[in-house]
Amino acid sequence: MTTPAISFENVSVTIGGVRILESVDAQVRRGSATAIIGPNGAGKTTLLLAALGQLPFTGRIRIPDTPRGAARLGYVPQRLDFDRGMPMTVMDLMVMGPQRRPLFVGRSRRRMDAAMSLLESVKADSLASRRLGALSGGELQRVLLALAIQRDPDVLVLDEPSSGVDIAGGSLLCELLDTLRAARGFTQLMVTHDLSLVTAHATDVICLNRRVMGQGPTSSTLNAAVLAATFGLHLGVADLHPLPGCTHDEHGRQPHADA
Amino acid sequence: MPDLTWLYDAVARLLPFEAMQARFMQRALVELILLAPMCAVMGVHVVNFRMAFFSDAISHSAFTGVALGLLLGADARLTMVGFALAVGLAIVAVGRRTTLSIDTVIGVFFSTVIAFGLAVVSRDRSVARTLQMFLYGDILTIGEAEVWLTAVLFAALMGFQAVGFNRMLYVGVNPALASAHEVPTRTYQYVFAALLALVVIVSVWAVGVFLVTAMLIVPAASARNLARSAFGMFWWSLVVAATSAVAGLLVSAQPWARTATGATVVLCAAGWFAASALASRLR
Repeated sequence: MTTPAISFENVSVTIGGVRILESVDAQVRRGSATAIIGPNGAGKTTLLLAALGQLPFTGRIRIPDTPRGAARLGYVPQRLDFDRGMPMTVMDLMVMGPQRRPLFVGRSRRRMDAAMSLLESVKADSLASRRLGALSGGELQRVLLALAIQRDPDVLVLDEPSSGVDIAGGSLLCELLDTLRAARGFTQLMVTHDLSLVTAHATDVICLNRRVMGQGPTSSTLNAAVLAATFGLHLGVADLHPLPGCTHDEHGRQPHADA
Repeated sequence: MPDLTWLYDAVARLLPFEAMQARFMQRALVELILLAPMCAVMGVHVVNFRMAFFSDAISHSAFTGVALGLLLGADARLTMVGFALAVGLAIVAVGRRTTLSIDTVIGVFFSTVIAFGLAVVSRDRSVARTLQMFLYGDILTIGEAEVWLTAVLFAALMGFQAVGFNRMLYVGVNPALASAHEVPTRTYQYVFAALLALVVIVSVWAVGVFLVTAMLIVPAASARNLARSAFGMFWWSLVVAATSAVAGLLVSAQPWARTATGATVVLCAAGWFAASALASRLR
């Protein structure tokens, strides 16, 4: 077996005296599309942020180097908390990472062309001259995806990519991710609560409820026992047997609608 | 210190108004022309970072810096700079380590600093007179040394902008996203806070504690109304600041006006802001 793209070893996180994650041991298989699922408050986002080095944790998170050097991460946050009044276009956002020359002396043609083709690959090329604050949730999500892809990441980390968009938009985004992953060969690690997207698009899952309740290939891992352990008891009523498939989004959502 | 006479003479030739023939006016204009763009450019980030309150806290720390200088028998200007730097960096350090919101952290520092200043002043009433000078500032009595210091700071700051402007924008959009994408967010936050503290203190000398935040915020806020891109925001902010500085100085020197220079500059900028708000409405 090849080395995992990320491995969590005995990772615990305590914030403000509350234990959010407890001894998490998990691996993200290289080249996989791994989904972290679990109820609200399970520590899904916390695990992502720990992997990104954004919050203190105990234990170890290993992100092995790749042949070209230290592994690069691309991050697509759930909701970008930013100032919508900021006068900044989508193209500004795309160019300000790679361009050294300050934006106030202009944007380089080369960087703009490169950014444009990235935006095309996420179907956002028509948004290039739009103001960032004027984008809808789904549009912003695609732009942030382009921004993350720009780094040519080894691991693409996404937090609830389907949260700001409708159901059609959610599966559209996942199809887009499948295409990009096939073309670029990154490992994808995403947090989601949308089980229908998981069964349709994730190759692997990590079931989390403060600790790891189960992990492995999606079809063999998502059984009634693991889901019950992850989401609580009454998930037993959900009919999850026709896996893998994408037919039971309502059931998949049920357990934490009231959590 | 090299002589700046040539610069002052050039100013007099460029603006052949009667008021501009006095050396102190020429020096004031040079100081303002250095200061206004610095404030404008820093203001772009201050607004993006939502740090208006931070600059307020730093400017009020000047008050305590002076008091500290008098207490220690040191040069008040030195203690002002040192104290402002310390407060600025401390706010960033605490802000990064706590779950409290940044304006709460700033609020705590702000009131502590003011209380400390008042405590010192209340022990020695004679200090109060010196303080007044800094509350209102006076650009017309600015010295050669201050102009030089401002020029050095100007060079450092523009260098920082040339290197870090894009990264600063990135951090301004969202620090978590920026650091996930390997922008050295922490370094930028500290360097920015230090530079901002210096700009604020130099501005206190010129326009006084009350008006520093206006110098930083008003041009950038006007630019927000007028610009649609990062490029536009930067240049509009500069244009608003520079024109307000020149117009403010000239107006304040007119016999019919005879107003405080700093206040007049800020009023000119406020005029820009009103016009820009109207323009953004009409658009």
